[in-house]
Amino acid sequence: MSTNASNSENKKVTLKSCDDVEFKVDIPVASRSILLKNMIEDVGETDQSIPLPNVNEKVLKKVLEWCEHHVNDPQPTNDDDDSRRRNTEIDDWDQRFLNVEQDMLFEIILAANYLDIKPLLDIGCKTVANMIKGKSPEEIRSTFNIVNDFTPEEEEQIRKENEWAEDR
Amino acid sequence: METNPALPPPNDLSATWAFLESGINHIMNRLEEGLSYKRYMDLYTGIYNYCTSSRMNPGFTSEPLAGPGSNLNNNRGANLMGSDLYQNLQRYLERHLHEIRGNSAQYMDENLLRYYTRNWEKYTTASSYVHHVFRYLNRHWVKREIDEGRKTVYDVYTLTLVSWRDHMFMHVERNVMTAVLKLIERQRNGESVETSLVKSVVESFVALGLDDADSTKSTLDVYKEHFQKPFVESSEVYYKAESEKFVTENSVTEYMKKAETRLAEEENRVQMYLHQSTHKPLITTCENVLVKNHTEIMWDEFQNLLNADKMEDLHRMYSLLSRIPEGLDPLRTRFENHVRIAGLNAIEKVADQGSENMEPKTYVDALLEVHKKYNDMVTTAFRGEAGFVASLDKACREFVNRNKVCKSSTSKSPELLARFCDSLLRKSSKNPEEGDLEDVLNNIMTVFKYVEDKDVFQKFYSKMLAKRLVNGTSASEDAESSMISKLKEACGFEYTSKLQRMFTDMGLSKDLNDQFKERSSVESNEQVDFTVLVLGTASWPLQPSTTNFTIPEEVERTFQRFKMFYQNKHSGRKLNWLFHLSKGELKANYCKASKTGYTFQVSTYQMGILLQYNKDTSYTFEDLKTSTDLSSDVLTGSLSTLVKAKVLNITKGAAVGEPSSRYDLNMDFKSKKVRIQLNVPVKSEQKVEVEETHKTVEEDRKLLMQAAIVRIMKTRKTLKHVVLVQEVIAQLSNRFKPKIPDIKKCIDVLLEKEYIERVEGQKDMFSYVA
Repeated sequence: MSTNASNSENKKVTLKSCDDVEFKVDIPVASRSILLKNMIEDVGETDQSIPLPNVNEKVLKKVLEWCEHHVNDPQPTNDDDDSRRRNTEIDDWDQRFLNVEQDMLFEIILAANYLDIKPLLDIGCKTVANMIKGKSPEEIRSTFNIVNDFTPEEEEQIRKENEWAEDR
Repeated sequence: METNPALPPPNDLSATWAFLESGINHIMNRLEEGLSYKRYMDLYTGIYNYCTSSRMNPGFTSEPLAGPGSNLNNNRGANLMGSDLYQNLQRYLERHLHEIRGNSAQYMDENLLRYYTRNWEKYTTASSYVHHVFRYLNRHWVKREIDEGRKTVYDVYTLTLVSWRDHMFMHVERNVMTAVLKLIERQRNGESVETSLVKSVVESFVALGLDDADSTKSTLDVYKEHFQKPFVESSEVYYKAESEKFVTENSVTEYMKKAETRLAEEENRVQMYLHQSTHKPLITTCENVLVKNHTEIMWDEFQNLLNADKMEDLHRMYSLLSRIPEGLDPLRTRFENHVRIAGLNAIEKVADQGSENMEPKTYVDALLEVHKKYNDMVTTAFRGEAGFVASLDKACREFVNRNKVCKSSTSKSPELLARFCDSLLRKSSKNPEEGDLEDVLNNIMTVFKYVEDKDVFQKFYSKMLAKRLVNGTSASEDAESSMISKLKEACGFEYTSKLQRMFTDMGLSKDLNDQFKERSSVESNEQVDFTVLVLGTASWPLQPSTTNFTIPEEVERTFQRFKMFYQNKHSGRKLNWLFHLSKGELKANYCKASKTGYTFQVSTYQMGILLQYNKDTSYTFEDLKTSTDLSSDVLTGSLSTLVKAKVLNITKGAAVGEPSSRYDLNMDFKSKKVRIQLNVPVKSEQKVEVEETHKTVEEDRKLLMQAAIVRIMKTRKTLKHVVLVQEVIAQLSNRFKPKIPDIKKCIDVLLEKEYIERVEGQKDMFSYVA
């Protein structure tokens, strides 16, 4: 995959996954992560590598792929919180990108939360939401491997409390 | 070298905090040594791990935050970890600031400012690092707390500011401000000081203005209360003392320079290192102390500056006093008075020869000179301010209408002004160039604007215009129409309609003469060059002749033919012949002294006399009176010029006009010129004319006032006497200023004529009679 060479004269930083694999990436790409963006701005650019103790090679590779693709997107602002929530659309590239195994999907979501990449976190959560949509509790349990730990009384209680939300 | 301890276990609070504290301590105290990416990432990860630990260990719960909404079972609720870290950070900041504050006690004045600003800058830089390192806490735990309405939880950066405010600022601000004020006072005293210190303090105080209701907003409360208030107060004390001392030791003009400089300095101070919002309170205070407290001495000095034409000082006084409300009022009054006196004095100077022979140009120039001088003053020194313009106008109106020359009546000014116009518009060797003429006419309009009796001007102007047109002495048609359009612009269409009508009549007459000449050349072999002006009685201010006159037989035939011609063209119109305004030219071939002969330019009456001498060379006074049918007065007048010019010789009788006197044609008449002007107006006639004009003005005014009264009563039906008088004055103000007794007389006339009547039972009330 080619990177956009016109930005920041190709200044790069080295990211190191928890399993000690190094990735050299353009600063604008790394800056999709607000955590990395703030740190590079605060500390300044050095040739030290940046250790990411909570992300492994497989996931980091995937996340960086997303960052490179979205390198020129505008930074999200606080104001568009509402419109972001209402919109459940995910664009085609992102849909294909997140068409991965469930474990991987959750790993990406966790990494996006850790690295503070809000748009990626959003589409990850939307993907999960779409997986839940229209399914019965039993179907959901089987999709996500959840053991039902409610007693029948508890379940009845919850159903009653949420009666208003039922489809009729 | 910084150390890199290993990450603590995620759910161990004391290990996590110990790990974080050493990192925060490093950022707060030794940031200049640098911070590695790894250390930064570890701190962030430590916080992340701690905050996410509850999810990894479902059985573990942190101490629950009390408050509404926490009645859910802890196992099931989405509890966020973080309150411990937040509280530990808060306590850490308090300890840290306590230390900084403790060290500040050893410093005073400038050193204290240096200490305060250096630590402020270090602290806020470090705080922004800490804020970023704690971003995970900000995004989740803090956000949730704020969303739930907790007022005492802030994002980490705001927390650092609140901590500084509570644990540092509140304890040292008094000493800091004392130092700031001392520094500024030294600068005001002329020392050069490190103003960047003050700028930093200002920035710090502004940054500490946190809105308790909404921590994302900032206010200026802290700056206003702790900086601006003491600063403005100390400025007031400083300038009060300084200005009071200065005025006792220096002149008022020197003081004004000082005040101006000081005000500029303070404006500059705001720009240089204060917050913009201080501009208004500071400058208002300075204006009070530096200007308002010293208005009396400035007002008193104003007259001196006027007398000496001190433009610069006048302007300075104007700009200082214009800063405060009502500061200029006394100046405007004094200025008005000064201009009025200057105008009166200027007229006094030129009026020495007495108002009778007042040269119009000298008079108008004197008025204009005063106006120009003070108009310039208004524009330069007082920046064309409306109040001063009004004062100038008021003063000019006063001295233009009431001065030594107009002692007898206000109508003298418009008369002289009209005469000046005449002298400019009449053919003369002294006529100004066209471009200059326009300027002079504009100047005339300047004076005209102030003239109250505009009707008098109109009267004289139309008289003199009529003369110029009848005698063909107008210098330029363009100049005439330019002047009329100026008058029209100033007074409206009605004011100039008669003047314009006069030009129309001149044009029509020209066409008429052309037609008549054409007809004459066909019908007869005409010998006499004959021109007639047919002028409408209503538009032309011309008086009928007072004497009879027999047309000389040489002209009689042409005269009769024209009458026929005109009657055919316009039957029903009556022609009145104004012979006293007519003139002619006679060719004299009898003189021995000249072979070619002379041409005499004469009045029609003189022509009537001289043509008698075609039959005989000697007549008595009685002979001439019979043949011309002229009255004795007119005959005497006409003869005297002829005798004086030696065209006729008086051969019997002592003086011209004696019944038995006899006049012979002077065959030896000699002159250097070929054309001799004998048609000179008689002085006494001119004087009578002026008086007549003034009299007709009075008559016209009565009619105008009566017309106005009837107009007003017709619309109002009933009206009180006082109101009626006011309305009449208002309606006529652009023509003249009616006198109240005159209006009363007109009301009486109208009561008598039964246009209006008194309302019974009501005092001073009139009603309109339809």
